[in-house]
Amino acid sequence: MAAEIILGAGLERYYAERKAFPARPEPADGAWDLVPVETSPDGTATARLVVDGLRCASCVWVTEEVLSRTPGVRAATVSYATGRTTLRWEPERTDLATLAGRIAALGYRPRALGEGPSPDHDLMTRAGLAAVATVAIMGTSEALYAGQWFGSMDPAFAALFRWVSLALATPVALWSAAPFFRGAWNGLRHRVLHMDLPIALGIAVLYVHGVVATVTAGEGYLDSLVMLVALLLGGRMLEARGRRRAAEAATALVATIPRTARRSVGDRLETVPVGDLRPGDLIDVGAGEELAADGMVAEGSGQVRMALVTGEAEPVPVEPGSRIVAGTVLLDGALTIRVSAVGEATVVHAMALQLHAAADRALEPTAADRIAPWFTGLTILAAALTLAFRWEAGIAGAVSCAVAVLVVACPCALALSHPLAAAAALGAAARRGLLVRSGAAMLDLATVDVVALDKTGTVTAGELTVSSADDAVLRVAAGLERYSNHPVAHAIVGEASARNIALSRGSDVRERVGVGVSGLVDGLRWELRSSGPGEVKLVGEGGDEHLIRLGDALRADAVATVGRLKALGLRTVLLTGDHEEIARRIAGDIGVDEVVARLDPAAKGEWVRAARGRGHRVLFAGDGLNDGPAIAAADVGIAMGTGAASSVLVADGVVSSNGLAPLLAGIRAARAGAAAVRANQAFSLAYNVLAVTAAAAGWVNPLVAAVLMPLSSVAVIWGASRVEAKVRRDVT
Amino acid sequence: MRAVLILLPVALVLGGVFAGLFIYAVRSGQFDDLDDPPERMLHD
Repeated sequence: MAAEIILGAGLERYYAERKAFPARPEPADGAWDLVPVETSPDGTATARLVVDGLRCASCVWVTEEVLSRTPGVRAATVSYATGRTTLRWEPERTDLATLAGRIAALGYRPRALGEGPSPDHDLMTRAGLAAVATVAIMGTSEALYAGQWFGSMDPAFAALFRWVSLALATPVALWSAAPFFRGAWNGLRHRVLHMDLPIALGIAVLYVHGVVATVTAGEGYLDSLVMLVALLLGGRMLEARGRRRAAEAATALVATIPRTARRSVGDRLETVPVGDLRPGDLIDVGAGEELAADGMVAEGSGQVRMALVTGEAEPVPVEPGSRIVAGTVLLDGALTIRVSAVGEATVVHAMALQLHAAADRALEPTAADRIAPWFTGLTILAAALTLAFRWEAGIAGAVSCAVAVLVVACPCALALSHPLAAAAALGAAARRGLLVRSGAAMLDLATVDVVALDKTGTVTAGELTVSSADDAVLRVAAGLERYSNHPVAHAIVGEASARNIALSRGSDVRERVGVGVSGLVDGLRWELRSSGPGEVKLVGEGGDEHLIRLGDALRADAVATVGRLKALGLRTVLLTGDHEEIARRIAGDIGVDEVVARLDPAAKGEWVRAARGRGHRVLFAGDGLNDGPAIAAADVGIAMGTGAASSVLVADGVVSSNGLAPLLAGIRAARAGAAAVRANQAFSLAYNVLAVTAAAAGWVNPLVAAVLMPLSSVAVIWGASRVEAKVRRDVT
Repeated sequence: MRAVLILLPVALVLGGVFAGLFIYAVRSGQFDDLDDPPERMLHD
């Protein structure tokens, strides 16, 4: 029954708005052609978008309903937390641009997945107009207050100034403040009450009272109204800007999957879109290329970087018969692969889809939104009581006191306290290398008490480095490897350079794929070959053998960061798929409180869920697709920026610089932000209680309101601006 | 006090002109990215 009401309301609004804004697809027509569309064997097309501006669960529901009811659409799912939208449709009956236009017509903003959210010009224009009107209305109100104070103002001028004030306030109240009215109305209709309701109520009362005051030559609060709208819209703009910067940085890190593949047909090669590949096709892959499909090696050999799937840095040799998955990178050699699965059927895709489903945790309303219904109720109650108690003193006095109560109760400072502090914390964290997706996730970060870290690529750099070798051995090995682009070569040459070893120049160097490299150095023939996990052997002409041990080095700031995290009172845990022995050694090196080894990807996620079940608030940081389940399961999931694209997509935040220190800075910024939110909320609630009491007592007139209300907002802005300073003081 | 009758419309028109300029600037994307342009010359 309730569902029917909402659906009716949603669709009604849809048709109403479609008339108002005929087809407003963003970005410009034609841009939708660039969005990758996958075609399934049954002829349906699938594409993924992001929809911005979804404020409530019912917005998501209405969007899904409208899309599903569009002719030609087979399925439409919209994620509440991220706005990610998956559409499946019949290409002969509709197209992506039409569907995007439908979403735009509902008042939300669709965009391509890889694209940053478009800047909100509309909000900026509304805020700008309110700001200009604020400056202008100050002039007229000052004249009116001065005239009142000295009591010698010509009534004709007073009337002129009042009407000018009304003319300035009208566009602000009716147009600039429209988002608050729309938000309040949507909230009421879908029974999700949030902060927009008391704000809209306050603005409406202010404006109606102002109109009446202008007509009857009384005192109005129009100046306060204009100033409040300007401040509130400014707060929203800051919030949107912080979110947009984080989203842009995150999308920039998302790597592109190859969109074409080289298919061999008979003795010819043709380049085809990945969507045209079919199981059984043969495709060629060269060194440095990313695999476009799952399959089995038919011919050739080489080494593949599987970090996307396993998270381990070490390359894996493959030969005919080896199974291989899309998204991994062929480091050297050349392969012909018989395709076994494409697109949605690939292992990587299936994992990514599971992650997307897992990442849709509910978006919790902010504390301010939770108290909004109480706030509104109490305000109206206070106004009604004022009216009742002052009734005997005369209707005019009673009404003016009741209006004053409604006016000063407008929770401007309260509404600003959360977004401003969250934006300040987001900015402070971003400047130190941690980009967090939303203000809510930022404040979640403040409540974390367990920090779980992945090993490879998070605590370690995720790159091979030389852990032990003699200088002389290294000199020869580097002479052979200096021409190669292999990770082992990078490790050896890098270590030789770091030790300031003068490189010799190898000659007649031959690289045999998957086996090793041989050549002449200083007139002697040497061979460098793999001799087991984490080891390579340098073999001389006479059969003398020298071992070079390779390992994955700790990040330079890992030990210091873990120590500081512990000092903040956090429990640190190392989660790894590696063997007990290696895990314990690394855990000992960096000094974590607990280590859990031999965990597969699903088990990491389980561990995180179990910890949450015990009442902990868990931060998980990892890279690679294999960390995805844990990132999605954690209260706050952080992806290392160097990791796999899919883990970046499900994460709440991304470490954009090379190191662990941004995690620490992020937690500090979050705690400072959360403290500022608490302080600001306490302050603004206390302010509201005092102001309402004063208004009920009849002590508040428009002049007092015009001074008090902006002051309370400025106090909140000041509180938020101290977040950066606090983080800076903590870090140094 | 006649001055007010002249100055008030002048002030309002000026305010309107600046509001119009601001709206033009927003629509043409001049506020879209306030962080990168100052650093762009360093990357070239």
